[in-house]
Amino acid sequence: MTAAKIIINEIKGYHRFLQFMIALVVIGALASMVRFIFGLGVTTNLNDTYPWGLWISFDVVTAVPLAAGAFTLGAIVHCFHIKKLEPLVRPAIVTGFLGYSLVCIGLLLDLGQPQRGWHTMVYWNVHSPMFEVSMCVMAYTTVLFLEFLSPVCEKFGYHMPLRVLRWLEMPLVIAAASISTLHQSSLGTFFLIAVDKLHNLWYNPLLPLQFWMSAIFTGISIIILEATMVHRYLGQPDESELLEILAKILPWVLAVYLAVKVGAVAFLTHGSLFDRPGLLALFAAEVLIGVIIPMLMFMKQSNREDSRMQLRGAGMVIFGVILNRFNVSMFGMIQPDQVIYYPSVTESLVTIGIIAGHILFFVLLAKYFPIFEHHPETVDYSMPDHFHATEAHEHDQGKGVEA
Amino acid sequence: MTNHWNDLKNSDCILAIGCNPAENHPISFKWIEEAIDNGGKLIAVDPRYTRTASKSDIYAQIRPGTDIAFLGGLINYALQNNLTHEEYVREYTNAAFLVTEKYDFQDGMFCSFDDQEKTYDPKAWAYAVDGAGNPKKDMSMKDPNCVYQLLKKHFERYDVDKVCAITGTKKEDYLAVAKAFCGTGRPDKAGTILYAMGITQSTHGTQNVRAVAMLQMLLGNIGIAGGGVNALRGESNVQGSTDYGLLFHILPGYLKSPEFDNTDLKGYLEKWTPKTKDPKSANWWGNTPKYTVSLLKAWYGDNATPENDFCYSLLPKRMGNYSYGKIMEKMGKGELEGLVCMGMNPAMGGPDSGHARTALGKLKWLVTVDLWETETSIFWKRPGVNPKDIQTEVFMLPAASSVEKEGSISNSGRWAQWRYAAVQPVGESRSDLHIIDQFHKRVKALYEKQGGAFPDPITKLSWNYGNGHEPDVHLVAKEINGYFTKDMTIVDKDKTLEFKKGDQVPMFKYLQDDGSTVSGCWIYCGSYTKDGNQMARRDDGDPTGLGLYPKWSWCWPVNRRIIYNRASVNPKGEPFNPKRPLIAWDATEKKWKGDVPDGPWPPMADDKEGKYPFIMVPEGHGRLYGLDLKDGPFPEHYEPVESPAKNMLSKVQNNPVVKLPKNVSSDLGKFPFIGTTYRMTEHWQTGGMTRSLPWLVELVPDMFVEISESMARQKGIKKGDKVRVTTERGSIEGVALVTSRLKPFKVEGKMIEQVGMPWHFGYSGLATGDSGNMLTAAVGCANTNIPEFKAFLCNIEKGGKKA
Amino acid sequence: MSSADMDVTKHKTFLIDTTKCTGCRGCQVACKQWNQLKAEKTVFFSGEGYQNPPAMTEHTFTRIKFRDYEKNGQNEFAFYKEMCMHCNEPACASVCPVGAFVKSPEGPVIYNASRCIGCRFCMIACPFGIPKYEWSKAFPLVKKCTGCYSRIKEGLEPACATACPTAITYGSREEMIKEAERRLKNRPQRYFQAIYGKEEAGGTSILYLTHQPLDELGFKKVTTRPLPSYTWQALRLVPGIFLTMGGGLSLLSWFNHRKERIRQEEGFKNSKVQPEKKDEMKGDNQ
Ligand SMILES: Nc1nc2c(c(=O)[nH]1)N[C@H]1C(S)=C(S)[C@@H](COP(=O)(O)OP(=O)(O)OC[C@H]3O[C@@H](n4cnc5c(=O)[nH]c(N)nc54)[C@H](O)[C@@H]3O)O[C@H]1N2
Ligand SMILES: Nc1nc2c(c(=O)[nH]1)N[C@H]1C(S)=C(S)[C@@H](COP(=O)(O)OP(=O)(O)OC[C@H]3O[C@@H](n4cnc5c(=O)[nH]c(N)nc54)[C@H](O)[C@@H]3O)O[C@H]1N2
Ligand code: SF4
Ligand code: SF4
Ligand code: SF4
Ligand code: SF4
Ligand code: SF4
Ligand SMILES: [Mo]
Repeated sequence: MTAAKIIINEIKGYHRFLQFMIALVVIGALASMVRFIFGLGVTTNLNDTYPWGLWISFDVVTAVPLAAGAFTLGAIVHCFHIKKLEPLVRPAIVTGFLGYSLVCIGLLLDLGQPQRGWHTMVYWNVHSPMFEVSMCVMAYTTVLFLEFLSPVCEKFGYHMPLRVLRWLEMPLVIAAASISTLHQSSLGTFFLIAVDKLHNLWYNPLLPLQFWMSAIFTGISIIILEATMVHRYLGQPDESELLEILAKILPWVLAVYLAVKVGAVAFLTHGSLFDRPGLLALFAAEVLIGVIIPMLMFMKQSNREDSRMQLRGAGMVIFGVILNRFNVSMFGMIQPDQVIYYPSVTESLVTIGIIAGHILFFVLLAKYFPIFEHHPETVDYSMPDHFHATEAHEHDQGKGVEA
Repeated sequence: MTNHWNDLKNSDCILAIGCNPAENHPISFKWIEEAIDNGGKLIAVDPRYTRTASKSDIYAQIRPGTDIAFLGGLINYALQNNLTHEEYVREYTNAAFLVTEKYDFQDGMFCSFDDQEKTYDPKAWAYAVDGAGNPKKDMSMKDPNCVYQLLKKHFERYDVDKVCAITGTKKEDYLAVAKAFCGTGRPDKAGTILYAMGITQSTHGTQNVRAVAMLQMLLGNIGIAGGGVNALRGESNVQGSTDYGLLFHILPGYLKSPEFDNTDLKGYLEKWTPKTKDPKSANWWGNTPKYTVSLLKAWYGDNATPENDFCYSLLPKRMGNYSYGKIMEKMGKGELEGLVCMGMNPAMGGPDSGHARTALGKLKWLVTVDLWETETSIFWKRPGVNPKDIQTEVFMLPAASSVEKEGSISNSGRWAQWRYAAVQPVGESRSDLHIIDQFHKRVKALYEKQGGAFPDPITKLSWNYGNGHEPDVHLVAKEINGYFTKDMTIVDKDKTLEFKKGDQVPMFKYLQDDGSTVSGCWIYCGSYTKDGNQMARRDDGDPTGLGLYPKWSWCWPVNRRIIYNRASVNPKGEPFNPKRPLIAWDATEKKWKGDVPDGPWPPMADDKEGKYPFIMVPEGHGRLYGLDLKDGPFPEHYEPVESPAKNMLSKVQNNPVVKLPKNVSSDLGKFPFIGTTYRMTEHWQTGGMTRSLPWLVELVPDMFVEISESMARQKGIKKGDKVRVTTERGSIEGVALVTSRLKPFKVEGKMIEQVGMPWHFGYSGLATGDSGNMLTAAVGCANTNIPEFKAFLCNIEKGGKKA
Repeated sequence: MSSADMDVTKHKTFLIDTTKCTGCRGCQVACKQWNQLKAEKTVFFSGEGYQNPPAMTEHTFTRIKFRDYEKNGQNEFAFYKEMCMHCNEPACASVCPVGAFVKSPEGPVIYNASRCIGCRFCMIACPFGIPKYEWSKAFPLVKKCTGCYSRIKEGLEPACATACPTAITYGSREEMIKEAERRLKNRPQRYFQAIYGKEEAGGTSILYLTHQPLDELGFKKVTTRPLPSYTWQALRLVPGIFLTMGGGLSLLSWFNHRKERIRQEEGFKNSKVQPEKKDEMKGDNQ
């Protein structure tokens, strides 16, 4: 009773926006219950011609690159050793962790037999990109969880694990980047099987490469977007100077991506590209808004410095990647004579709930955990004195916390 | 069928006219496809482009009810182009026979028509006979009074242009059909004609069939493998039920049912036993007395003695017509007390169902014996009536289905196949045999107890099928085959055969007219012998390679798979087509090889013992010229009773011997379109068995009406729209199926549209809908009374009944 | 997934000759009967001709498609049987994360329902749109033609093939191809000169012969390369990429860290900043 009261009181103190988010999450949760009671047919507008809809297209295929900030930044900071950017890493990890957790929730909702999710670990089929992705997602979520443990430990002052985690940081970052490379690209591999279904504008053997590359610039853009937003709305420090570095990287990645994409469409597809004007328009929008314009924008120094322009450019990239993932997983798969799928209300409510959940948890985490104020040079990773007693003891402790 | 299903594979050309085997006899396509694989051609002649047409090499559209014109044109084409099988025609048909001078045909009418009674006197069409009483012949076939010349003259009028003007067939299609089918007149080619309801359901249905048979005789196609006149029969055991005397004018084995003036057995036999003086004619029906007496012995057992005419006096004698139509007419007038419907659904299946449904309400009681609740058994609560207004007491007896009981089923190819019960009857349902047995036992007990006006026909019946709960169907089958009632010694040529009392008769030539044998249906004599139940045989050996399978089940008569097979050889007994020999005379062994021949005698050329091939007619020759039909010795084209066209061949519009009911109308102002009804694979008949089965309902859930694209444009009807179809008899609703498979017919320069529909829907079962038979007219064939379901006039409007 | 090692020539194969198919739909009903599938609730006709039900579903594993049209003034009324093609190298099996679909050694592509997690990737992957889902259920599974595996295990033919009077011939793939080629050669005017399924999707255990051009009947034009190979060309790189990526990044960071350490060490030599900074940190934390 009292605990509930405390929570309610706490919530009462929240900003209206947060309360709205909570409402959306609750509605989304209720909507997902509908799915488990009445089935996917009733809950969603999915059918045999559209076995995958909003939940897969957004909650999985799009959400994964949107959560790519963690591995991208991790690699930039730790492997390419641009240490200056380290303050951005933790928020990225949090976003990533939240993102992947929600991907898992989305998947569980979407699976017919969620209770058998573990089957993927038992009944291996290495020929299945989904097997690959699910293994990766599980591995990577674990990695993200471990990375996410740092602020938690910090908050509660668990020094020992903190040290272990600090020690693990590099391996984790490298694992994160490698695993992400695999599954980000494997999401593209999903659609390589749809040889005669996915339109030529998107279908080409380099799809996995494109998915991976776009995950990288999406990750970067997400960080820009997020940092700008939290600065604006959560009163966190202005990191636009750091973001400028990212904005400098972006056009390069975009350019390479563009070259690969155009090259692939030009040289690696068979059959007509221009037979479906609607799809052509979607393709053009994706490339123009999502790639070419932001690329040109970020090539200019003044734009890179301008926080408003940073936001706009990043926004466009993100829009572009969302459109791209929908194009690949949904629009491009529609056959000429097929009726159009649109998500049902319940289905959309679940997705909205998941997005709201993401924002909500992010804000709450930011509120209760040291995420933004984290400047590693200020954290004490030295071993507290009482741990110097015995080595063995230290290890036990470490394990205990980790488990 | 003269031939059988498997034999279709032997054909070089299959003409499917007025039938739709792909849809209504799907399994037949197994053999049709085999024929096609061997290079055979398939021709489909149908008003609609059906699933059969889709498999055909040539499709010819035909206006409903104009088949005589179509077939007459083919007869003419064969004659004019010398495509007939000359030797066959001369030797085996009555082409060379001379007809009396009295015979005449003028402007659509044969001689000797009684205008008052609307009947012909067929005596005027007799053969000219010589001093010995045998028909005169001119083997050169040049005599102007010989059948061949009369035939030629009669069909001269059916030239291709005239025929196409009548039938609405495209000339090039017609010529393609003529060329392909008449090409089978060569001895080395076999052509078969498949027909069914498109041919028979007509006011001149019997003459349609005659036209089929005549064409086949002219082309030498009867009696040979891959040939024949093949009626694709309907209900799974309808062949069996006709064999056992389903129709009012025949007794089991196609013996005639006695007429009112056949007062005693002698008179009956006198009248119905055909005679010939020609020693070369087998005249098989000359055996009528043996078969009749054996039948009476089966019915009345020991009560039937020579002294009491074998109880002949207990048989009902008929006067006039007892056909379905007449029964309904009487019922409608309240002249019938009760009705037993055993596996029949008259509220749906007959013409003018509206009337039939009202008529059922005039009965005191109605018994239905069926697997399902049918439209008939719930007629008293059909839509639009108040059950309180109907006094009829209805009893529903649940019947066991075919897989729940043991017995034989005779297919179109005359094969009697024994089936075993696969499962126990559902619930309280009982086999029909059990139900009839109970009827008999209880009615007999009542008669014995209470007496009655005329109890003997029931009380004297010999009825011994065991005392068990379920009658022993093997005892029934054994009685049908027949057995000896006393010890017998029979001398057959050089053999002496000894039989004991109670022994099964091995074949019908041993049946006797003195009461020493019993046989419930002479044509099945041989089906259950001392060697056991021949119908249950399952040996798939095929020594001839023609698909005769002589040891698979049993085929009447005498296990002969293709009847009239003596016509497949020349008079010397050599096969016309040595590549496909059906039978052949082995001169050294002095016996026939191959199929069981039509009689053991040596070939026709044998002066002493040779016999003509068509053993079932007294003259032994196939009848190009018919002697005993009600509407003429030759088929003549008349329009259906409701028709958009004037008869283009004569002034006589309709078959002159058909009496028209009141509710028919050829007012094109009111009913400008041709209506026709048919069946489809997915449903069975009146629908009891299929509209109760979800898997079939899924396939065809609604009553629908097929119309052409031009009609759809003209009427603004789109696929899926509700439409209303109206005739002089009634009005029904259906969903429109617009298709290019239906096209209008060119009639007198105008395009006349057709409206096609299934007749499977009704108000009982899972899927319900309006009944096609609310529209059809109660008018039937002059000879058989089969209703004219296939051609009527109607109107169609967009919008359903409420519109 | 050893379909590559299987001898496909021995696989049980349907030869469906649409020139012989009368559209009787005996196969469609036999399939429902054998598999005890629910009847669909239908109205009128959902497609051309008498076509029903409107689509293949969890309750309908096979269906006769009707084509009812005119060509050069001639009617065409064509029927063909839609069913799982039992691909030699099935896309459905290759994408299934848990290997619920497998190509059986006898030929049919069979489904292990107890493994399936219901992800519907098989539905996306199947080039013929065959697997269907139990949309009405809270915990749905996938449904498709079983190839009547249970029957053929007992030496019977599939229910639909048994019911078919004309169009279906059933036997080893090798024999069926031979028979199809024989028919094409014997009656060239009757057949469109192609065997659908011989090469499609890398070859299937269902082969079709037609009279009409394939596209006119609505046969899908699909690639002749086995579909799993499209995915595999990328997936097979996985271990390599993983190792390269991990190794590369490790090297890179080792290199960068070394650079920094050297810089730091050099800086340490040149200035006294480092230790102070450490102090600062400590102070902050207190
Ligand atoms: N699936 C299925 N099979 C059945 C039955 C069933 O109800 N369902 N019923 C069984 C029974 S009892 C019978 S009798 C048989 C009947 O079998 P069919 O005779 O084949 O049946 P119908 O469809 O009545 O008629 C055949 C064709 O005749 C065409 N037709 C109509 N008028 C004319 C005409 O004037 N001339 C010509 N040449 N053709 C015409 C029709 O368009 C139709 O395609 O089928 C048996 N088989
Ligand atoms: N408009 C139109 N009307 C037609 C025709 C047409 O072409 N057009 N065709 C006509 C033809 S050819 C025919 S044959 C008639 C048929 O007309 P009906 O014979 O009246 O119709 P069915 O539906 O065959 O009726 C058979 C009944 O027998 C039941 N039954 C099945 N098996 C058994 C059994 O073992 N025992 C018993 N006791 N009952 C059983 C079935 O459930 C069914 O109700 O319809 C005719 N009506
Ligand atoms: S319904 Fe029965 S009798 Fe008729 S074709 Fe089919 S299997 Fe033969
Ligand atoms: S047709 Fe589709 S479901 Fe069937 S085996 Fe091939 S890929 Fe699998
Ligand atoms: S739905 Fe089931 S069978 Fe299909 S791919 Fe997923 S796990 Fe495999
Ligand atoms: S093989 Fe079996 S499951 Fe597949 S369509 Fe045929 S009957 Fe149905
Ligand atoms: S059973 Fe055979 S002939 Fe009938 S629809 Fe099916 S494939 Fe065609
Ligand atoms: Mo019939």
